[in-house]
Amino acid sequence: MGEVLEFFQSDIVGQFLNPRRRLFWGYLISALIIAILWLCIIKKKKIRQALRTIFDRSVWLSKSSRADMVCFIINRIFMVICRPILITQIFIATALYHTLHLQQIIPIGLFETAPVWLSTLLFTSFFFLLDDFSRFALHLALHKVPSLWEFHKFHHSAETLTPLTVTRTHPVEAILFTLRSAIVQGGTIAIFIFLFGQQLSLFTILGVNVFVVLFHGLGSNLRHSHISVSYPNVIENCLMSPAQHHLHHSSSQKHFDKNFGVALSIWDKMAGSFMYSSDKKLIFGIGSETEEYTQTIAHMYFVPIKKVWDRLWRHTYGNKCLLRISSTPHKKLMNFWRKYNVTDF
Amino acid sequence: MKHITSGTILVTSLLTSAAFASDVYGPYPVTLKGYSGDATNSVSYSGQVGRQLLHNSLKKAISNGAPMNELKAYFNGSDSELPLLDPVSSADFKVDVSNINDVSKTNLAGKAYGGVINGWPGGMTGKEVLLSMIERAAQTENGYDAKHGHDYAQLVSKFTMGAVFYHQACDNYLDEKLEADNKPNNKPYNDKSGTYYTGKEHSWDEGFGYWGAAAHGATLSARQNYDIAKKKDMAASDANGDGVVNLKSEMNYAHSYYASAYDKGGVTDYYNTITKAFIDGRQIITDANGEALSDSARSDLKAKARIICSNWEKVIAESVFKYAGSVYSSLEALKEKPGDEALKRKYAKYWGELAGFSLSLHTSGQNLGELGTRIDRLVGFGPVVNGSKVTGVGPGGNYFVMAEANADKEMVHMLKLQKLMVDEFGVTAKNNDKLAGIANISEVLGAGDSAEND
Repeated sequence: MGEVLEFFQSDIVGQFLNPRRRLFWGYLISALIIAILWLCIIKKKKIRQALRTIFDRSVWLSKSSRADMVCFIINRIFMVICRPILITQIFIATALYHTLHLQQIIPIGLFETAPVWLSTLLFTSFFFLLDDFSRFALHLALHKVPSLWEFHKFHHSAETLTPLTVTRTHPVEAILFTLRSAIVQGGTIAIFIFLFGQQLSLFTILGVNVFVVLFHGLGSNLRHSHISVSYPNVIENCLMSPAQHHLHHSSSQKHFDKNFGVALSIWDKMAGSFMYSSDKKLIFGIGSETEEYTQTIAHMYFVPIKKVWDRLWRHTYGNKCLLRISSTPHKKLMNFWRKYNVTDF
Repeated sequence: MKHITSGTILVTSLLTSAAFASDVYGPYPVTLKGYSGDATNSVSYSGQVGRQLLHNSLKKAISNGAPMNELKAYFNGSDSELPLLDPVSSADFKVDVSNINDVSKTNLAGKAYGGVINGWPGGMTGKEVLLSMIERAAQTENGYDAKHGHDYAQLVSKFTMGAVFYHQACDNYLDEKLEADNKPNNKPYNDKSGTYYTGKEHSWDEGFGYWGAAAHGATLSARQNYDIAKKKDMAASDANGDGVVNLKSEMNYAHSYYASAYDKGGVTDYYNTITKAFIDGRQIITDANGEALSDSARSDLKAKARIICSNWEKVIAESVFKYAGSVYSSLEALKEKPGDEALKRKYAKYWGELAGFSLSLHTSGQNLGELGTRIDRLVGFGPVVNGSKVTGVGPGGNYFVMAEANADKEMVHMLKLQKLMVDEFGVTAKNNDKLAGIANISEVLGAGDSAEND
């Protein structure tokens, strides 16, 4: 009983109390304020109308949103069970730090005499860029590799978006994101400590990475919401607006495989997957497959596994490549649109 | 009202003195049945204090470049006068002993660990390792073998603490001597006439003597205990206020000193944990009032012994951790200035301390198994000196030397050693932590175990 209570406190409630997490209450409130300001100032709504729009029952209590809540709990349980066996950033950092000692090209502490502000600035900036790029790259892979896309559909099957949708993630994908984080953190820490010494620091606000606070404090929770906050084009060229991410969730064919980025949109610019936000009403989900994937919570978790298993089976016995890079991962969805002759909304 | 006030003062003062008394080791009444002598305090561990003084003096003698016969006198004991070399009286810190034999005519050799020490070349027992180190020390200048990087004052000192004190306490007095049929509490400790303590009382006292804490140490702060061992705080040391430090009960020695050194960092409380467990254990024995200990009392006593030995082991592991960090820093500095003799000397000193403490981990009677092998291999048989290091010893006693030792690899070994001390022994003071940067930054960034999408 005590363990259940501890789990509830640290892993459920803790998600809303930890400023390192996106669902931290402070970030949720800042997102609410931004949404109100957006609706009142830009969309010229009255405050009551704005609040009614924000707290729209058809969004917050939809079947999709209720599924998000259940998935949130299940996934937290899954992560608690898996945590001890997942590789940590400290493990990677330590192993890499050891390895760096054995190479003869770059001497240890090469930049140890650099001023602390400079090493802190370089580390904080480099980490932010690498972290954001790695999120983009993994996200791209989740869409482009057919087997990974099966798992990522779990997230894209959401038909309404709320901040909790960020946790609507298949466990396989959660493991990939955790590994990504460990590799990026561990790698960056080891290299920078090797070069700049043990005094390495990070720019923080209230003990949290300054970029994390800025990203979340400036409305990252609106990425999964029904409030389409967009930026002027000149800003969207660099920073991914919530509305640009909504477009990523759109089931419209012309929005497929666009805007994979998280904080920065420059990666999409480079990869040719960039698209400005749009004012048009969007429909979220994975079209005809939504029903198949979201019949029940169990379907959400096990259909992707079955699909990948079938793919593996076909690969083994049908001589097809399991990891074939597909340019049209939404093939079924596209067939659906073609069948019903729908091109856009 | 007046009655209430004076009553309150009386009760308060009684409670205060009781609380204070419970933090001091002794005096304890004589409980031995049939004893008719004059003794009123059954505490006795002068033999152990004698060995603490022999250890201190042996270390000093090695660094002073004393000849072999003098070093062996401190190791084997001597019938003639044995001058105390450390601690000696100074203007600010007066001690009550100048001849060790006045405390106890004893020796270190007879109590040294008899098991084989694989972490030192030659396949010797703990006692043989110490003797071999002392013999080599006598052939060097002030105990420093510059060719192989062996600092014998440090090696002998740190390994004596383990092979004699830790070994005797945790592999003997707090181990088999706690069994019902071994040194029972309803009989005198030995057959000598005039013995005024029971088997269990004296066994426990001897364990406390090897721990080396001042009897009143648990009433002081970690900083005060540290300063007592450093001979810097006469006021804290002189518990009875007679103007002189009684080396039997008012001094901190050996591992208890290291415990206070870690505790003053504020993270750990090894000194008090161990000392109070000794005090609690002694009270259990005293409460038996000279009768054989019940199974339940012995079980409680064993629990105290476990607290003592597990924390004692941690103190040694903290030392391994600390000196692994010091060795790492020395290697780092030597990369910058490879020819700096002062740096080389410091490196040898740290390595000697590291090796002495790491070898000590093997002497508690608990087989560390694969972990012990890993520790031994990471420490090795010597530091890297001019690109070479000791790898073994030939039949004639000459060291084998590996010509192409890699200092970078040694640095990695030190990092692995620190991690091992954290993972396997749970050290928390972590002085000279060379992975602290990684841990600190990782903590600020936070764990990435997140079931979050983007």
